[in-house]
Order: sequence, then structure tokens, then C-alpha cells
Amino acid sequence: MAAVAADATGVAGADARAQRATRGLRSAMAQVGALSGRSVRNIWRQPQVWIPSIAFPLMFAALNTAALGRVPGQIADQSGGTFHPFGPRDVYLDFLFVATLTQGVLFGGLSGGSELAQDIESGFFDRLVTTPVRRASILVGRLAGSAVLGGVQALVFMAVFLAFGARVQGGLAGAVVLPLAAMLLALTIGGLACAMAIRTGSVEAVQGVFPLIFITLFISSAFFPTALMTGWYRTVATHNPLSTMINGMRHQVLVGFDLAEAAKAVLVPGGLATLAIVLCLVSLRARLAQR
Amino acid sequence: MGDLPIEASGLVRRFGDFVAVDRVDLAVRSGEVFGFLGPNGAGKSTTVRMLTTLLTPTEGTARVAGYDVVREASKVRRAIGVALQDAAIDPLMTGNELLRLQAALQGIPRSAAARRGAELLERVGLTAAGDKRVGAYSGGMRRRLDLALALLHEPRVLFLDEPTTGLDPSSRLNLWEEVRYLNSELGTTVLLTTQYLEEADQLAERIAIIDGGRIVREGRSGDLKAEVGSPTLRIELADGDGVAAQAEAALAPFGEARPCEAGFVAVGLSGGAARMAEVVRALDEVGVTVAGMELHNPTLDDVFADATGRRLEGAAEDTGPDEAGPGTMGSDGSDGRGSGAGAGPGGDGAGPGAGVGGSAAAVSAGRRRGRR
Ligand SMILES: Nc1ncnc2c1ncn2[C@@H]1O[C@H](COP(=O)(O)OP(=O)(O)OP(=O)(O)O)[C@@H](O)[C@H]1O
Ligand SMILES: [Mg+2]
Repeated sequence: MAAVAADATGVAGADARAQRATRGLRSAMAQVGALSGRSVRNIWRQPQVWIPSIAFPLMFAALNTAALGRVPGQIADQSGGTFHPFGPRDVYLDFLFVATLTQGVLFGGLSGGSELAQDIESGFFDRLVTTPVRRASILVGRLAGSAVLGGVQALVFMAVFLAFGARVQGGLAGAVVLPLAAMLLALTIGGLACAMAIRTGSVEAVQGVFPLIFITLFISSAFFPTALMTGWYRTVATHNPLSTMINGMRHQVLVGFDLAEAAKAVLVPGGLATLAIVLCLVSLRARLAQR
Repeated sequence: MGDLPIEASGLVRRFGDFVAVDRVDLAVRSGEVFGFLGPNGAGKSTTVRMLTTLLTPTEGTARVAGYDVVREASKVRRAIGVALQDAAIDPLMTGNELLRLQAALQGIPRSAAARRGAELLERVGLTAAGDKRVGAYSGGMRRRLDLALALLHEPRVLFLDEPTTGLDPSSRLNLWEEVRYLNSELGTTVLLTTQYLEEADQLAERIAIIDGGRIVREGRSGDLKAEVGSPTLRIELADGDGVAAQAEAALAPFGEARPCEAGFVAVGLSGGAARMAEVVRALDEVGVTVAGMELHNPTLDDVFADATGRRLEGAAEDTGPDEAGPGTMGSDGSDGRGSGAGAGPGGDGAGPGAGVGGSAAAVSAGRRRGRR
């Protein structure tokens, strides 16, 4: 009898525990959902945030094509063959597509960090922290806005570039890789910006990173094939993880869908995003502990 | 001891070498409105931030709703409602969106949250503004929304850090009503910080006066005032100063004379208001006609001045004109204090000009100096 009773309470205890866990998970999801909703909505409500992150890269692309549209698509290389820096179609626009996408996402991804810094400066963050919300939910919620913006940017850029005659050789599969990589890259930048925001609590500090990110982009394969570069510039650009990602994405556009290249396009920003988010969480913990 | 909703012992918070909160002890009882009164920079917010788990105490311990604010912070957060002094509300969100967000963060199921959110908006008079962005709200509306947000999960313990600073008088009254309602109808324990004497007086059952990070007085408002001294009875003489000597003689049995301007006599009325009729009779007997009479009770400002030697900032505007009369004027300096039982609001002999209207300008200048 006693044994049965004990068993029964054991089962009941496990049930209760499972129920609590489910409830905890559900409320964590609700928290992340609500915070993500907020961050996406807030970006949407600030056209001054999303319009430049779409318009400027497109303007830049327009200038670039105007300036470089007649760069020959075929260059004789030392071994006597021809090198097609812009892909087999020899169209600069095709080449530029991924550069514009990356540039836009880098630009937009910072907004997530700026928004968090804004929250910290204004005290809204304190408001959140006095509730029982999980600390990680605050971050994930904040980064969701960046990621969604990154995905939307990718789709808008794709539409514009296709309208202007660019082609994605990888078809649908190749086309799916691009927004995915864009979202992960947005998470990376958003995560770095968030970590920065948490450490400094200052919007200016976060926006001050901007030039640094642009330099990183310019010393990569984004606007020119590394094959055409020389010296240290070429060395840095070749080893720049952004180049690896960009080359992976670009392969889908210029050549065709390729799983290994797709993996590069996704795993590089995926790995970086993970690092950035871990850095963010560590910073958050440190910030909350040293108060 | 264990079931006090807010208790702190030896709470210290330093920022570098600066001691913002210095060995604060608190014991707020269940169902009480506790007022935390102090000037700018006194350490009110810092204390509230420690009690609401936003800041870690440098020393000391505190328990809120029965949980340790450091070791059981997340349990504390579940039990408390907080309206911080300088935590902005996201101006891009609407009132309803903020309520929904708050509900999710507090783990309130959606349907219950919607009902309760609507109810709270109604109570704080924001139903019509619920779908407007907070950026378009007035300061008073934000404060009320803030209160609604803090109340959404029906907290047992509510922290309001300067809830009415910057509000116009009618919004202030509304907020007071709301706090009273919460406290009397729902039994919510409220810790409220304020720089306004009247607010502490009106709302709080018990008050702690904090200055320079330390609690300098604590108790019921009435008791604190009584400790400072007897109320001042100020009598206007129908026949002017000519009868002042007779009047003062007749008043002597009621308490010590207090300084006041020409044409008036004043006395520290031991025994309080109940003896006013006797005073009139006594004056009548010696043939002095009374043109008017005012009884000035010691104010919390007098309590503050007694404890710190300074006046509380904004006290003059806050307590209204009748209390800025001669009864309180003499006491801006600290040196007029300490003459024992009689050291009422009149402060005796605070400088050479004490007690005459002519010193008013000098005194108020001194007061202003004392504020910063
Ligand atoms: N994070 C901080 N770093 C350094 N000093 C601080 C910090 N927070 C508060 N202080 C200092 O601690 C003291 C107490 O500040 P606190 O905000 O608690 O005062 P308060 O009583 O709330 O004043 P107010 O009525 O102006 O809100 C002030 O001198 C303030 O400058
Ligand atoms: Mg304060």
C-alpha cells in the first residue's frame, strides 16, 4: 500500500514538474514573442531607421553600376585564359547584388543595438528588468527586429535587382540561401551592437562602430573580386570571414546552387551570430551583476 | 518579523567613494502606505532601486514580500509592482501595446490580461487614449499609464518613486485617490517616495525622512510633528499693538510666546486646538478683542528642519501660503533649534530680526540658500 501511495505521489510530482516546465516554456515563448513583436513594430514605426537601410545601399549600387558598368567582364589572366570576375554572364549587376545585400544588412543590423542602447539610456530596460522576464528573452526579442529587417532587406534588394536585369543562377534554392544568410548576418551585427550597447549603454557608442563595420566590408570581396586585389589588402580581404560568406552567397547568384557554397554562406554568419549572442549574454550578466 | 512586506536592515549603497544610501533600516507593515520623504539626491531612488532588485546593495540586507532582494531576486520581481522615477515609457508604443507587453512579461494569460488591462485603463482614465502612442501622452497620462502597468499583475507590494513629480494639482489628486483606493480596497502595501510634504502627509500612514542617505526621522506624521513642538496660535488684535502687552500676559499660561508681526500675538499652544476657546475667553476677560485667529500646526517641513537644519526643497510652494507665515519663518537656520520643549515652528530667536515682518525677505533668501 505504502509503496503504491509513494509511487502515486512520485508520478504526481513528475506531472507537476512537467506541467511547470511546460508553463515556463510557454511563458518564455510569450515573452520572446511580445518583445520581438515590439522590436519589429518599433523598427517599422521609425522609417528613419529602415528607409536608409534600404535606400542607401540601393543608391550606392546605382552609383556603382553607373561608374563601373563598363568594366570588362573578361580579363585575360597570366595563363592565357580568360577570367570572368563578375560571373559567366559578365554582368556587373549580378556581381553587385550580394555586395548591396551585405551592405544593407550591416547597416540595418546596427539598428537593433542602437535600439537596445536607447532602451538602456531611457530607462525602459530597467522597466523590463523589474519584471520576472528572462534576461535572454530581452536580448532575443531585441535581436528579432534586426533579423526580420535583414530578411526583408534581402527580399527587397532581390526584387529591385531582378527588376533591373540581374539573375540568380541558383534558382529558388539559391534564392532562399540569400535571405537566410542575410538574417544570420543581421543577427551577428545586431548581437555585436547589443553587446556594445550593454557595455556602454550609449547610443552614440553603438553608432560609432559604424565606420569600423564599413571598413570591414570594404576590405572584403564585396565590391571587387579578391583576385583583382594586391598586397596586404588582398591578404586581409581573402581571410575576412565576410568574404567567405559573400563568396558563398555569390556563388548561388553567379554560378548556380551549390550545397558546399550555401553552407559557407549560412554557417559563417551562423557561427558569428552565435558568438555575438554569447558575448551579448555574458555582457548582460556582467552588467546586471555589477549594478 | 518574517511577514513584513518590506524590511531592510543596514542597507548601504556606495557609488565609488560616495555613499548614496547609508545604513537604512526599514520595516513597512502589511497594508500600509509608507512615505519616503526627502530632497533631491537624498537617496530615495537608490533605496527603491535596491528594494526592486535593480541595484545590488553594497552592504546590508533587504527582504521584499518575504524574499531576499539579492538571492531571491526573481521571486521578488514576481511579487512587486514598480513605477520608477526615471524609466521612460517607450514613446513608439501605444498604451494597449504596453499593457499587453507587460502582461506577457508578467506571465499573465492573454484573455485575463486583456480584461484586466481594459479595467485598469478605465480606472486611470486612459481608455480613450489606449490606442494612441505614448509619445503623444502628457506627463500626467504617462504617470497614470505607468501606474496601470505596475498594477497589471496585482502586486502585493507596490513601489512608486515620485509618482506625482511634475504633475499638475488635479492630476496629483487623482493619483492620490488611486493610491488610496489600492491601499484601502485591495490592501496593497505601498512604498512611495516624494519630495512633497503634503503628499507624504496626505497619503502615508508612516513616513521616513531621508537626507544625505540616512533616515533622520521615522514615524507617523502626527507623532513626528508633535515631537517638534506645540502648534502656534496666531491671534490678530482688533485694537492693534496697543493691547499686545495685555494680550501676551493673558496668554502666558497657555504656552510660551512666539514671534510674530505687529498687530498680532502668538503663542505655542500646549494642549492644542482644544484650548482655543479658553484662549478667547481669557483674552475677553482682560478686554482684548480678537479680530482673527489661526492655529498653525507644525508641518513636516518643521520636522525636516528640526532634523536637518534645512528646509525641504519646494516646501514653500507645497504647503500653501498660510504656512509660510511668521510661524515658520524664523526657523530657516539651524541655530534657533534646541531650546527644549518650546522649539515649535516659530523657532525662537532665529537671528536678530526674528519675529517681525521686515525680516521676511532676508529669511526667504536664507531659505533658498538652504535648499541646495
Ligand atoms: N549610478 C550612480 N552613480 C553615481 N552616483 C549615483 C548613482 N545613482 C545615484 N547616485 C547619487 O546618489 C545620490 C542619491 O541619488 P538618488 O537618485 O537616490 O536620490 P533621490 O533621493 O532619488 O533624489 P531625487 O529626488 O532627485 O530623485 C545622488 O547624489 C546621486 O548623484
Ligand atoms: Mg529619485
